[in-house]
Formats: sequence, structure tokens, C-alpha cells
Amino acid sequence: MVFWISAALLTVGATLLVLLPLTRRVREPVSDNQYDVEVYRDQLLELDADEQRGLIDHISGEQARAEIGRRLLKSAKAAEADKAVVRPQKSAMREWLTLATVLAIPLISWGIYTKIGSPDLPAQPLAERLSRPPDQNTPAELIARAEAHLTLNPDDGQGWEVLAPIYLRIGRPADAVTAYQNAIRLNGDSVQRQLGLGEAMTAAADGKVTPEAEAVFKHALQLDPKDMRAQFFIIDGWMQQGKLTEARDLIRKLLVEAPADVPWREQAQAALTRLDQEISGDAPDVSDVEKAGPDASQVEAAAGMSSQDRAQMIENMVAGLAEKLKQSPDDVEGWERLVRSYVVLNRPNDAIEALARAKKVLSADKIARLDGVAEDLGLKGELGDPEKD
Amino acid sequence: MTVELGHFALVLALALSMVQAVLPVLGARRNDDRMMAVATPAAFTVFALIALSFAVLTSAYVLSDFSVQNVFENSHSQKPLLYKFTGVWGNHEGSMLLWVLILSFFSALVAFFGNNLPPALKANVLGVQAWIGTAFLLFIVATSNPFARINPAPIEGRDLNPILQDIGLAIHPPMLYLGYVGFSVCFSFAVAALIDGRIDAAWARWVRPWTLAAWLFLTGGIAMGSYWAYYELGWGGWWFWDPVENASFMPWLAGTALLHSALVMEKRSALKIWTILLAILTFSLSLLGTFLVRSGVLTSVHTFATDPGRGLFILAILVLFIGGSLALFAWRAQTLEPGGLFQPISREGALVFNNLFLTTAAATVLIGTLYPLLLESLTGEKISVGAPFFNLTFGPLMIPLLAAVPFGPLLAWKRGDILAVAQRLMLAFFIALLAVAVVLYQTSASGVLAAFGIGLAVWLMLGALTDLALKAGIGKTSVHVMLQRVVGLPRSAFGTTFAHFGLGVTLMGIVCTSTFATESVLVMKPGDTVAAGGYTLRFDRIDPVKASNYNEDQGRFTILNSAGREVTDLLSSKRYFPVRKMQTTEAGIKTFLFSQLYVSLGDPGKDGGVVVRVWWKPWVTLIWLGAVVMMVGGGLSLLDRRLRIGAPAKARTLKARVAA
Repeated sequence: MVFWISAALLTVGATLLVLLPLTRRVREPVSDNQYDVEVYRDQLLELDADEQRGLIDHISGEQARAEIGRRLLKSAKAAEADKAVVRPQKSAMREWLTLATVLAIPLISWGIYTKIGSPDLPAQPLAERLSRPPDQNTPAELIARAEAHLTLNPDDGQGWEVLAPIYLRIGRPADAVTAYQNAIRLNGDSVQRQLGLGEAMTAAADGKVTPEAEAVFKHALQLDPKDMRAQFFIIDGWMQQGKLTEARDLIRKLLVEAPADVPWREQAQAALTRLDQEISGDAPDVSDVEKAGPDASQVEAAAGMSSQDRAQMIENMVAGLAEKLKQSPDDVEGWERLVRSYVVLNRPNDAIEALARAKKVLSADKIARLDGVAEDLGLKGELGDPEKD
Repeated sequence: MTVELGHFALVLALALSMVQAVLPVLGARRNDDRMMAVATPAAFTVFALIALSFAVLTSAYVLSDFSVQNVFENSHSQKPLLYKFTGVWGNHEGSMLLWVLILSFFSALVAFFGNNLPPALKANVLGVQAWIGTAFLLFIVATSNPFARINPAPIEGRDLNPILQDIGLAIHPPMLYLGYVGFSVCFSFAVAALIDGRIDAAWARWVRPWTLAAWLFLTGGIAMGSYWAYYELGWGGWWFWDPVENASFMPWLAGTALLHSALVMEKRSALKIWTILLAILTFSLSLLGTFLVRSGVLTSVHTFATDPGRGLFILAILVLFIGGSLALFAWRAQTLEPGGLFQPISREGALVFNNLFLTTAAATVLIGTLYPLLLESLTGEKISVGAPFFNLTFGPLMIPLLAAVPFGPLLAWKRGDILAVAQRLMLAFFIALLAVAVVLYQTSASGVLAAFGIGLAVWLMLGALTDLALKAGIGKTSVHVMLQRVVGLPRSAFGTTFAHFGLGVTLMGIVCTSTFATESVLVMKPGDTVAAGGYTLRFDRIDPVKASNYNEDQGRFTILNSAGREVTDLLSSKRYFPVRKMQTTEAGIKTFLFSQLYVSLGDPGKDGGVVVRVWWKPWVTLIWLGAVVMMVGGGLSLLDRRLRIGAPAKARTLKARVAA
């Protein structure tokens, strides 16, 4: 409301200021040529002054005086003639224009403003927003308030502790790093804080576990050697750095040590298989599989562990996958992986059988894709038509 | 609420501007004094409304009101207070608002001081100002509204481009705009004269100070921009022939020509039609500059936002005003009364010479700037017209012009005696030759160009002083009388001397820096030293520092003199701004008299060292000091409020002297 009143006052005021001259009589109008006459007169006076100051010598002064005099005479004559020009005091056009102006100023301004303005949106200076009661604040404002509080009380460890995970969640990892560092400095060392710090550092590096972050995770592990998250991050880091063997060994150790029903078992095993393949040169790329072939001795040498353990682990993994595909068979990638695993394990019959089973449940386009894989793996010839039943 | 009041004030200003654009001009055509009288209060009101609007936007910046999109996009609550102010125009929308604020301010000044103007002229001038204002206000409201709001408001802004977080932003754009927009007044006077079909006697008396003021600000704006680029971009260069720089340089060249031709017009009532054309061209180039920089045609630090809609709008404004005014000129120019006559060898003739060379130079820069753009838009081929083109075209044009500068002020009006003038300039000429010889002797054959450049600079400076000395009556009277006469000289005489002297100073700086600068790029480890310009620079260490909105790696250096004693320390740093994820270089600069040691920190090397670029820039500050001297000249001339009359030299002077 205050806004509309102010806007109306501005409009009325501005319109009046502009309209005033339209309704007021102008004092005796003067011809433009008369203004010229005045200028030339001033010039003549100035010329005298310059001559007295010695800026212009007498001869030049006379010349200039003659020139200006000629112009002055001409203008004076024109000014005399101008007296005959009619200057309208009353004019229908002016009256129309006055009316149009009175209407145009509010119409244009209010018309445009109501289209583009946001009259109901109050100004929101930051300081004022932050001083409102907390229950009226948005989450972002609450964070800003906490920040303001911490700027003034940088030794409030509890504050940093609360803010740090929030930063991490809203995608400000660099701030999260600072917050965790402060929390550790003020509240002391703890597994959770070190883990958070490491995680924030990793997020700040776009998911890369930097050597600094790895050191933090290792430190967390010293505090609690059983902590899984720290070990997973370390494994992740090793995989990024290409330390595949180390990564695989650690996964394997975790799998052996952990109870059978831990939720991460399946994932870890999948990672293990992938690592095994990569280490032996069996990257998921099919051509690589063909080139390298399932050379058990190589794999074993690279693995550096007993072949019995290794075979067992792989068997487990493959069996797990086969089981999973029984439960949810519409998974062409799963079938692909299974077939490949059988080929790698040198169990062609199982591979062919798996293909046949897959063809029963998959749609035509997915079968075509699987056929392509089979061909690449050299299974084509041995594969008969799928059983028809 | 207050934010929206500023928004409303802007729209109301647009409505009033439309009234101001129509009523006074119609009134002038119909000899209707009341309609003409609308112009004055309208100009005041529009200025007041835009000022209100600008103040509201500024307060939104200072109070970090992120419900205003413009503030959100270009500010940050932790930004230092100065940059909250300057950030207002550190973006497209805000800078356009500053543009119209200055335009309306100048209109208000014309309205305020224009009581002695013929009413029709005043009405037309303010009307034309309002045409420009209306076009730009429409542009702002339609495509670049600084008052667009966001609901709900974000809690933190995106910060200002770090390169702009500098004191330079407080000075460079306002000065440049004062220059650009100042020429709008000259333009409006020119178009008003064309509309009216007559050039009033007061015309030139009004146009010259406006030209001077605009020229003064533009000079300062360009010099400041150049110095800013020099220390902020970290390349050690002060002029790159970058299209954006050219965009400001073209109006300066045309404006300098206008300044001189307006001088002839005021003093001698000559060159009237040419002056009108120049006024139109100068402002057209200012508009073109605004267009090139604002439309996103050129990408550079100045391009805050690219939006084809804006580009088209500005292009339309450009076509309307440049095309319209030139068409009006073609149509109406012959109705104007031509000015007085003069002989080729005369002060007027010298000023025509100046005008020809300056406008040709401006045209050269224009071609060099626009040709690559046109070629790219027509054929898609990207070419770069860089320093070599301008050195080959602009340079040769400047040499005869600069060589002729000392002659100009010494020639008499209407008919001059070039031999007599040459005699008076003998001393300056010989000293300049001496300078050439000394430089050649010192630098051997390699410095031929430099020697002549320095000679030319000396010639300019001494020529300017010769003019002053002759006006004081050197050789004719005693020292005491001379001093008295110097004190009695009008300020405009000093203005000429200062401006021409400053030109020489700038040239001296340019020549010395371009030819004698040394550069070394090397990897330095703490304790390493490198020699530069008679000093030795030692790299001490790098300190990480955290400021409110950036982190900084401060490289600490110590400068040792030839005796190995520590003279001073030097700080060069790299700043990282996390909000924008941008890095800036803060060059470390130490000034020794006029020369500078310039250190720019590069990326860290592998083995703990850091890449450091070190320049020794002999006499580099003269480039900008010269500009300051020129500005002082312009200011002195501006302060001289006498009427200017140039007395013509009498024909057959000899005979007259004999007769006397």
C-alpha cells in the first residue's frame, strides 16, 4: 500500500512539474536573432578587454571589430524582422497535447510497471533477513546465520561440527573441509570427524581421493581399525591411482573377515571380479578377452594368492550372479557378464546353456545383442537354436 | 518496497522522457513558447527520477539484497564495501543505468545553465537529448532491467568478476561514460541546429566547453583503462589495439578533431558545417563504442552478458541515431549559413590539417576494428587485425600530425606566415635534433626509430613551451615583464600549452617503453635473483593469505640496487576467488622516478620454483602522466569562461607595418 501511494505521489508530482509551463504565460518572447545580437555585443566588449590586456594588438582588434560588427548588424536586422512573427498564445494543438500528456505519463508508467514490476515483493536486505526469528528462516538463511555466528565466534567447535555435514550435503565441499578441520582442532580427534574431513576433501576434488584425503582416512583407520567407510575410500583411491593389486587384496581381506550377511558383500565381490579382470588384462572389453585369453597361470601370478582361494572366490561370484539372474532374468547386462565369466573360466558348456536360458526370457533386440557378444566370444558355432518349448 | 520504488521511478522517467522528446521540439517548430518551456522541468525531473532509481539500486548492492537478480548475479555479502558500490556498474544492466544517469545529468545541466540560450535552440537540444534518453531507457526496460527480482531470494550472491574487483572500476567506467555521453550534448546541439536550419551565435560558445569536458573525461577514462589493464591483466602491456580499446579511442580521435574545429568555430565563425558533421560523427562513434562493448559482438572482460536480443536492440538504436542524423545532415546542411573564409596557411588551415589527419586516423582505427567483425559475420573467417596493422597505418598518419602540432598555435588567424613561425621554432627544432643525435650515439644504429620518436616527443614539448614563451614576449621585454605577462595570460593559452606538452610526454613514454623495455621469464626458487634495469630482484618466498572473499598466494620479492643494498620490497600475487572459481594476477610494480619494475607471478613449477615474469619498463609512467597533463590542459581551457574571439591577421601585413 505504501508503495502504491508513493508511486502515485511520484506520478502526480512529475506530471505537474511538466505541465506547469504549458499553462503558464511566458514573459515577452524574444527572437532568436536577438540572442545573437547579445552574443556579438558581448564579444565586442571582450575584444576591448583583450586589447587593453595586450592580448590583441590594435590593428588586429580593429579587424575583428569590423567582422563582429558586420555580423551584429545582420542579426539586428533579422531580429527586427522577427517581431512580425506570430507567437501563438492560444493554441488548440497545445491544449490537445496537454491533455494527452496528462494521460500519457500515468498510462505509460503504470502500464509498463504493472507488466514488469513486482510491487508486492518487499526489499530483502541480507542483515534484516538474518535477524528474523530462526523459525521463519529458510535452510539457506539458517546456514548463513550459522556462518555469521561462526565468523564472530570462530572457536565454537560445536557450531563447526553441526555445519560441516550440512555443507557437504548442499554441495559446498570446500567449506565442509574448513568446517571439519575447525571441528577437529576445537573438539579433538574422532573417527567421525576424520571420516567427514576425508569425504569432504574427496568431494572437493570432484570425487578424487587425493593423497591428503587418503592420509586422513588412514588416520581414521588408526582410530578405529574396523571402520569400513575409511577402507572403502582408501580402496577407491587406490583404484583411481591404478594400484589395482593393493585394492583387490584389501577387498579380498575385507570379504574374508566380514560376516556372510553384510550388505556390501555383493558389491564388493563385483568390484573384486572387475579388478581381477583388469589385473589379468581382461578388461570388460571383449577383444581384450580374446587376446589375453583365460590364462590361469597368468592370473594366478598376478593375483599372488593361492589358486584355491581365488577359484573359490570366482566360483562364488559367478554362482551369485547366476542366482540373481534366476530371480530377475530381464537383465541383458547380467547375462552378458555371466556368459563372459563362463568363457573366462573355460566352461563353454555352461556359457552355451546360459545363453539358451537367456534367450527364453529376453526380448528380440536384447537377444540380438547377446548374440553379438556370443559371436565375439567365439560361441557362435557351438550354439544351436534355443530350445523350443 | 523501496526496490520497487526505484523500479517505478525508472519507468516513470521513461514516460517523462517521451514527453520531453516530443513537446519541446514540436513547440520549437510552431514557435510555441509554452511547449518549448516544458523541456527544462522535464529534464530536471527525469534526472531526479533516474538518480532515485540509481540510488535504490546502489542501496540494494550495499545492503546485499539478493532478491534483486542483478545484485545476486554480481555481488557477494562478503565483498569489500567499495566494490559493493562499484559493482553497481560492474555489470551490463547497471552500467546502462549509469549511462542514462549521466545522460540525464547532462540534460539537466544544459537545462540549468541554458537560460541564455535562444529558447528554440534549448528546446531542440533538450528534445534530442530526450530522444537518446528514451531509446536507452526503452532498451533498459525491455532487455536489461536491473530491477528484475527473484523470489525466493538466494542467500548469497555470485560475486563480482574478480578482475573488476579493483579501484579501477571506481574510476574507469564512470569517466569513460562521462566522456561518451558528454559528446551527446554536442550531438544534440548539432542535430538541433539542423532541425532549426540555423546556427546561433551562441552555438559554438556552448559546444566547445561540452566538447572539452567530454574530451577531458574520455582522456582520463582511456588512460585509466590503459593503466588498469597494464597492472591487472599481468601482461605488462598498456595498449593492445583490442577492439574494445579502439571503441573508446575512435571517439577520442574524432572528439579531439571536434575540439579543434569547435575552437575555430567559436573564435572565427568558420568551419561551421564541418563542426556539425564532426559532432555527429563523434557521438556516433561513442554510440558505436557502446554497441561494440555492450552487445556482446566482442568478447572481452567488458562483455558482461551476451544476448542477441540486446545486440539487435542496440543495433537498431545505432541505425536510428547515426543513420537518422547523417540523413538529416545531408538534407539540411545546405540551409545552414557557411562560415568565414581563410587562407590555407593560417591557424584555421592548421586546424583543418589537424582535423583531416585525426578523422583519417579515426577511420583507420574504425576499419581495423570493424573489418574482422564484418568478415567473420559474412564469411565465417576469423582474422585478427592486431598491432602490425595499426602500426603500419595509424603510425604514419600520426607522424606528420605530431610534427605539425607546434606550428598550429603560432600561426595567425585567417592568414599566416609559415616561414616566420618556422624561425621562431628553430631552437625547439635544434634541441630535438640534438636529442636524436644523443639517442643514436647511445644506442647505435638499432635505435633509429626510437631516436626519431624521442626527437619528435622533445619537439612537441619544446614547441608547446615555445608558444607560451612567445606569448609572454620572450626576447622583447625583461624577465620581470615576461613573468607579469605570463600571469596575465588567459587560462586557455595555458590549456593549449599543457595539452600539447602532455602529448609529447605521452609520446616519450610510448617510445621509451616500446623500444627499451626488457623482459625476462624464468623459474625462480627462494633466494634466486634476476637483474632488471640496473636493479636486482630477489625472490624471497610465497605466503598464502586469506582475505574476505579470496585466497592469495603472495610472492615476496626484494629489490637490490647495483651496490647490492636492499632498496625496497615488492609483492606480486595470484588470487583465487572461490565463488567464481577464477584466478587473477596482481602484478607487483615498483616505480623508480618514471620507470617501473613490473613483476608478474606465474604458475608454480615442479621443483618448488615458480614462474616469474620480470619487466623493466623505462619511463612507462610518462604515458599516463602525459594524459594527466593533457587533462590539466583541458581543465584549464574549460575554466576560461571568457568569450573567445580570434582576431584575424590583416591582409598585407607588411604594408600595414610600414604605414604604421
